[in-house]
Amino acid sequence: MDENEILTEPKQYIVVKLDQEQYGIDISFIDNIVRMERITRVPKVQSFFPGVINLRGEIIPVMSLRNRFGLADKEYTNATRMIILKPENGAKIGILVDEVREVVTLEESSIEKATRDEQGVNLLGVGKYKDTLISLLNIQEIIQELDNA
Amino acid sequence: MDLSQYLEMFIDETKEHLQNLNDQVLILEAEPDNIDTINEIFRAAHSLKGMAGTMGFKRMQRLTHDMENVFSKIREGKMGVTPDLVDVVFKCLDAIEEYLDCIINTSDEGENDNEDIIKMLNACLEGESLADVAASEASSDDESAPAAASEASVEDGGNQTADVSDDKRKYLHIDIADFEKNAITEARAKNLNVYGATVYIDENCILKAARAFLVFKGIEAIGEVIKSVPGVQDIEDEKFDFDFSMLIISEKSLDEVKKIISDVSEIKEVIIDNYDIPSDVEVVSSVQEAEQKEDKKDDKKKATAAAAAKANAKPVAGRSVRVDIEKLDVLMNLVSELIIAKNGLVSVSNNQTDGTESKAANQSFNEQIEYLERVTTNLHESVMKVRMVPIESVVSRFPRMIRDLSKKLGKEMELIMTGEETELDRTVIDEIGDPLMHMLRNSADHGLESTIDRLKLGKPQVGTIQLNAYQDGNNVTIEVIDDGAGIDVEKVKASAIKKGHITEEQAEQLSEKEAIDLLFRPAFSTAEKISDVSGRGVGLDVVKNKIEGLGGDVEVSTKLGEGTKFTVRLPLTLAIIQALMVEVRDEKYAIPLNSIVTIEDILVSDIKFVQQKEVINLRGTVIPIVRLDEVLDCPPREEEPENLVVVIVKKGDKQTGLVIDNLLGQQEIVIKPLGKYINIPKIISGATILGDGGVALIIDSNSLI
Repeated sequence: MDENEILTEPKQYIVVKLDQEQYGIDISFIDNIVRMERITRVPKVQSFFPGVINLRGEIIPVMSLRNRFGLADKEYTNATRMIILKPENGAKIGILVDEVREVVTLEESSIEKATRDEQGVNLLGVGKYKDTLISLLNIQEIIQELDNA
Repeated sequence: MDLSQYLEMFIDETKEHLQNLNDQVLILEAEPDNIDTINEIFRAAHSLKGMAGTMGFKRMQRLTHDMENVFSKIREGKMGVTPDLVDVVFKCLDAIEEYLDCIINTSDEGENDNEDIIKMLNACLEGESLADVAASEASSDDESAPAAASEASVEDGGNQTADVSDDKRKYLHIDIADFEKNAITEARAKNLNVYGATVYIDENCILKAARAFLVFKGIEAIGEVIKSVPGVQDIEDEKFDFDFSMLIISEKSLDEVKKIISDVSEIKEVIIDNYDIPSDVEVVSSVQEAEQKEDKKDDKKKATAAAAAKANAKPVAGRSVRVDIEKLDVLMNLVSELIIAKNGLVSVSNNQTDGTESKAANQSFNEQIEYLERVTTNLHESVMKVRMVPIESVVSRFPRMIRDLSKKLGKEMELIMTGEETELDRTVIDEIGDPLMHMLRNSADHGLESTIDRLKLGKPQVGTIQLNAYQDGNNVTIEVIDDGAGIDVEKVKASAIKKGHITEEQAEQLSEKEAIDLLFRPAFSTAEKISDVSGRGVGLDVVKNKIEGLGGDVEVSTKLGEGTKFTVRLPLTLAIIQALMVEVRDEKYAIPLNSIVTIEDILVSDIKFVQQKEVINLRGTVIPIVRLDEVLDCPPREEEPENLVVVIVKKGDKQTGLVIDNLLGQQEIVIKPLGKYINIPKIISGATILGDGGVALIIDSNSLI
């Protein structure tokens, strides 16, 4: 498979919501989506880590995507979900989102390249789907930033 | 040919042989005439050569070959052991280790030919007798073929010169018993054919036994093997050279049988013919002759094989299996899951006691849980034991290291080790080697005075470093003791001030112990000049970090002029521990039981202040207290109660009281890592999963003292 082929292959993204903003996460990074669980607070860690959870015997740190992107806290609702990400050659990490909406398939042609949005969030690009815009998160980079922090 | 599946075995065995060689050469250095040692070295070198050859590592094979030559000479008494020779041999071992490292990392032995070492080895050979050098060169010529093969061909070659055809028909020399004779006569009566066959397997064949097995299988489909030399069991165990002979009964024709055998791949030659029972006289004589021949021929090989087997078997008592550590980890995880599940049951049963269920049912439920608890505890212990490795596997390389250091530093010193049999969890063993090495180097370089100074001080000329290991409750203690100069506290303080770690006022207030602890600060070294050995400022702080990372601690005690003692305490196991579960506000935390001294109930009014810090006076000892809720950033209590629950924890001989809200009880907990990405503070050493599925953090009380 050559490089062009990889680029043109349509990819699937899970669309999540933080306030009114829609973000897309490449489905290949997703291990699992779970409902809100009891989060155990860990003292003195980065402020965007509410704590850790027990996912079937494995302890996984959970990051609030809201806090990470500089948004204010919001009450957890019935729609709040934890998305468990499993990056390539990396450990699992959970992220908290307000809502998980749908799975979309985006052609390369409908994605406009971008590296960061106004808040400085690390993006792969902005996808057009029907009438809406979806900011596609650069998960690999967002997680890498944690390692370096 | 794909050898990768054998690579792991090769690496393991090479490591064992190398360690053995290192040990033996050390003995040899002390006792140059010890013939057992010389034999052992020769055998180990020989095995290494064979193994390297089979795996196609030619450079390594060449080096071991030359080493073997040297020891072969020594063994024959044609050469003596000199200190120079020992040095060369050590260099040779280091080079082999380099090859091995290279092989571990890249599956290839690398490009280094180590010509200089080979030259030195050969110089040692030449130094004694020139005639033999030629011989050794000649034999090293045919190195391109794997060792095992070249050896076999050399030996076979010797035999072939006598009488090729007859000597190759080894089946003629098969010794047959009466019942086999009967079987043959019977077969004849039934008009079946009886053949004698000798099968030669290709000398480059790796799986001789498998080829032989295929031959047997092929014959069994068309007839019967009534006798084979060596026996079937020996052939299966690969206890044969490159040929085996057998007697076959079959209804098929000679050519058909021959074809079936030669169709098996890697069979070099099949010699097969009709077989007649030899007359008794002939049998006896030829058999004896053959046996003698075989015996002589095999002597050397058998001896090596036996020695190799002996060397391999030495560290292992009783029957053992090599198990991949990953498999053990899986087993361990399963045990952990089981314990978590059991804890879940316990918490269910505790909740039920409030209910209205019949008492009897509840009691039997509790009994079953207790039974389960016993089983899981035993299971856990057994699995832990399987993972335990004697510390010997780490420390055995230290005598060699101290010898080298002694030469390098020009100080006379000896290492005395005790308690090498003390066992620790595999994960700890893997990590403890480097810190221990650092400490030994530190003792050798900083601790011990130079030989001249020692003589001036009236101390024994040879400095002593002791490495003692022993089990102490749930901990293993390792001590590194030297009888050197000790630590000069004033010098340490001065150096700390110079480096800006502390101010002069601070220095004055430091106790001796606190001053010594300065040594564990990063980038701290009192060595006046930077040497190869130590003094580069990395060292003790790394040691300390590593050991604390393993859940242990280090302590130093010293007496100026008499020596220094480093004490390392390590937990026996890392995965499952007994802990006290406590509550701080509505959060649950676990405190490892082995660090807890007592639990006290104190009045708030009993708290005193010393230097603005809260302390309590407990039966005459003043103990500082730490409010866990503050350290853990918990919301403050609405009103302070009159009584506080304080858990007294210890680290070495220091104690601290931890203020908590509630005691929940003792529990066996499974330690889990907190995952990556999250910057865990020092006071949290991990987490565990509670019976109700929640997570409790584990407090590292050492960090609070």
